[in-house]
Amino acid sequence: MDQLLPPEIVEAGRTFPAALAACGDLDALLRLKAAFVGRESSHATRLMELLKTAPKEQKRELGAAINGLKQQWEEGLKARQAELEAAKRKLGALAATWDPALPPPQPPRGALHPLNRLMDRLVDVFRPMGFHVEEGPEVETEAHNFDGLNIPEDHPAKASSDTFYLAAHPELLLRTHTSPVQVRTLLRVAPDLAARGGIRFLAPGRVYRKDEIDPTHSPMFHQVEGMLVGHGIGMQHLKGTLEYALRALFGPDTEIRLRPSYFPFVEPGCEVDVSCPLCGAKGCRVCKGSGWVEILGAGLIHPNVLTYAGIDPHEWSGWAFGMGVERMAMMLSQTPDLRLFFENDQRFLKAMGGLD
Amino acid sequence: MWIERKVLAQEIPAAAALDTRQLCEALAALGFPVDGVAALEGTEALDVDITANRGDAMSHRGIARELAAKLQQPLAPIATGAVAEGEALVPVWLEAEACPIYATAVLELGEGVTPEAVQSFLRALEASPKRLPAVDASNELLLRYGHPTHAFDADAIHGAVAVRWAKAGETLVTLDGVTRTLTGRDLLIADEAGPIALAGVMGGDRTKVTEATRRVLLESAWFEPKGVRATARRHSLHTDASHRFGRGADPAMARVARDLLVARLQAWCQAKLIGAWTAGSVPAPAAPVNLDLALLARVAGEAVPLEAAREALTRLGCVVTAAGDRLCVAPPTWRHDLAIAEDLAEEVLRLRGYEHIPSVLPPMEGPPEHLAPAYLLRQRVARRLAQLGFHQTVTYGFISPEADALFAAPDNPAAGRTLANPLGYEYSVLRASLLPSLKATAEQNLRQGSRQIKLFELAPTYRSTPAGPREQMTLAAVWGGVLGGEDYLSPARAVLEADLAGLSRDLDLPGLPAIHRLADGLFGFEVELDALPRPQDRIIPVFRPFSRFPSVERDLSLLVDLGQSYAALHQAMAAALPADSLLELRCVDVFRHKSLPEGQQAWLLRMRFQAERTLVGAEVDGWVAAALAAAESLGAKLRA
Repeated sequence: MDQLLPPEIVEAGRTFPAALAACGDLDALLRLKAAFVGRESSHATRLMELLKTAPKEQKRELGAAINGLKQQWEEGLKARQAELEAAKRKLGALAATWDPALPPPQPPRGALHPLNRLMDRLVDVFRPMGFHVEEGPEVETEAHNFDGLNIPEDHPAKASSDTFYLAAHPELLLRTHTSPVQVRTLLRVAPDLAARGGIRFLAPGRVYRKDEIDPTHSPMFHQVEGMLVGHGIGMQHLKGTLEYALRALFGPDTEIRLRPSYFPFVEPGCEVDVSCPLCGAKGCRVCKGSGWVEILGAGLIHPNVLTYAGIDPHEWSGWAFGMGVERMAMMLSQTPDLRLFFENDQRFLKAMGGLD
Repeated sequence: MWIERKVLAQEIPAAAALDTRQLCEALAALGFPVDGVAALEGTEALDVDITANRGDAMSHRGIARELAAKLQQPLAPIATGAVAEGEALVPVWLEAEACPIYATAVLELGEGVTPEAVQSFLRALEASPKRLPAVDASNELLLRYGHPTHAFDADAIHGAVAVRWAKAGETLVTLDGVTRTLTGRDLLIADEAGPIALAGVMGGDRTKVTEATRRVLLESAWFEPKGVRATARRHSLHTDASHRFGRGADPAMARVARDLLVARLQAWCQAKLIGAWTAGSVPAPAAPVNLDLALLARVAGEAVPLEAAREALTRLGCVVTAAGDRLCVAPPTWRHDLAIAEDLAEEVLRLRGYEHIPSVLPPMEGPPEHLAPAYLLRQRVARRLAQLGFHQTVTYGFISPEADALFAAPDNPAAGRTLANPLGYEYSVLRASLLPSLKATAEQNLRQGSRQIKLFELAPTYRSTPAGPREQMTLAAVWGGVLGGEDYLSPARAVLEADLAGLSRDLDLPGLPAIHRLADGLFGFEVELDALPRPQDRIIPVFRPFSRFPSVERDLSLLVDLGQSYAALHQAMAAALPADSLLELRCVDVFRHKSLPEGQQAWLLRMRFQAERTLVGAEVDGWVAAALAAAESLGAKLRA
């Protein structure tokens, strides 16, 4: 049969499967298609011309052979086209596939300062008990910072070695605690205290003491003051409130312990310990093995403080507490150096702060 | 104060049976937490924290007294036979009310040194023994019984002794070798040649006991606390003696301590008593204090039986008489801190133990108050900035004068904001601006390798006024470094002023704040928080109807000069457009490229229109043409 066909076509037909397989894309396949079965000057058109000029007695046999070849080529091309198209679709699908492991664009994320977060958290804890926030200036008078708080005139805290004073205004100082907010608030509400039904508030803020900067001291730090004035207020109310608040902060299993202590503006006074929130009171480095951590100072408002503000201590009584925010933050986070809170390294802030 | 356990057990034998932990817990429950325990040869010393109001507890006897009351165990008696007093060998004149009693004695010293046991006790308490019996005995008595005494070299004293106020300008060389110039408010002990001791603070060098001393004159007095505190502070001379007299020593101990001192010198160095006498007398006790049971019940949180209260106070040494629902309480001579009923209530609670206080939530008596708008605003701004990627900083309120001067207004002089006693020059001025602190913090972060700096602070700044620094809550934000470039979709670019302008719009600042270039690629602004709009009272605003017809958007690309003011162009174009149909006109792209004519840039202006009807193309085309004409009147050209 092959002797009827031109040898170059026979050769092309023999290499067709390999050429087909060598087509890596549709363009190559189209070129191959044009060469074999194209409408112009392809192997197929040449065979058709050959058939036209073939002797009549050969036409039948030749025609069958040509058709067989053409059919073989067309089927091969079609199958290969389907293969290549499938491969292309697959690549397209791959290109459209999103790899979730590739680092995506991320909305920016900053942080509140950890000390502010902690103070905000305390406010959140006390809000349901009807406490609001009172604030006062950081530059204070001696009267508000000391005198109104039953602090004696010759108290060592008043010394210029402990308290910052203003050069041009010797009567002004940087408040050494948030307690002057007590004095300001009590003075303000005294006239209508009965109509208000007493008062209860928190006073978070920055305070200043003349301490050198080192891993456990800072000339500026934060306190949260709490105060409640009402009728018949005693130590049981202080204990009840702090138990609620400290459990809200540290967990429902937290125990609190009151120990006698002394602050001029309260009587009785106490220190308040919580069962160590880090080890569950089993004893660890933070609680020095005791299971307890000192968390704040508190007591019943000294009658002299109420009297100074124009409130009758025979009718009204109350409690107050003051808490060091840095101390609590360092304890909870086990931050080894107080200075980190004021260095404001973004890595520290991002790691220690949050958005809420 | 260090408390040595063996000596403590001599004062209260029952303490010997407690282990260290029990003892520490008992002391903490009494209000004397133990800060540390030091193991010593054959014993232990406890570092007991004693509050400033409890001068009476600053000794082994004082701590023992507290434990005895708590544990209901007896104190050991103070072992002294009273010294027989006789005629004054040296006249002692008490010329100031601040010294009501002065017990003294003269002894001739014999051979002998301080016993080893006493020396090791002193060493255990970090009080180095001097091996001079008179000096060591005085120190031991102070630590053991809390009453400061002093021994003078009797042969160095000239004539009579007086306790009197100093004359201004008088001088005294104290034991530490320092020459003190005295004021009229310093109480001193003087002989006829001049001052020999600062009363209750420190003895003088001229009359000090040395190894050559043959005869001593002892002083065991009581000095009024306030004067001692003032003198100690005035001369920066805080001694064990001034610490105790300044917090209130026991006047009844004056004679007892003298007797104890005499007995020690007799025992330790065969001293011979030549004479003992006392000038003045124990001052009258303070008036008794009444304690109502109702007040006690209010403080304690529950009714306390009268008998229980009386018993507790009696254990503390008070003399208590009951009258109806009231106790009349005379505090003991060593307790100067029991002045009001609340003080007594605290004592009753303290002995019962604070663990017995019930836990009760205080009842609401009135409506709770709202959080102040200024507080809420600060919370909202801080949260918004944190959400936008900014980090809240907390920096010191005082900075150096140079840093302050960078951003202080000319009418805000630093003098009115300067501290009298700063920690150092670099912390001496209350800052007029937060920007110097944020700039320093940002630069520090850049040095630490941060790609992008986003910081903000909410803190007061200060303005000098005649009445003192006025505080103004202030917000400052700084932003710098490289934006983006951290993922495959966000190209990197430098942070620009425009980013801060955008931030200020996000915060609804009224107008554009001054944007400062703090360093290369680092920008910041600062506003007083009062300038920010307050949170609305309304939960949601009043409804304003909006069109439901589709909006139409058109862009115009304009070639404008590089110096063209956008505000002027915007205003001109907006004026040419129908106000009731123009939703928005904004520049959405600025294109600067060498392919454009020199000195020109391309602005892409986007217009969005909407009305209460469907807008038709021809109508909008007319508006756009009018806007283009307005732009062209300012020199802009339609970009081909």
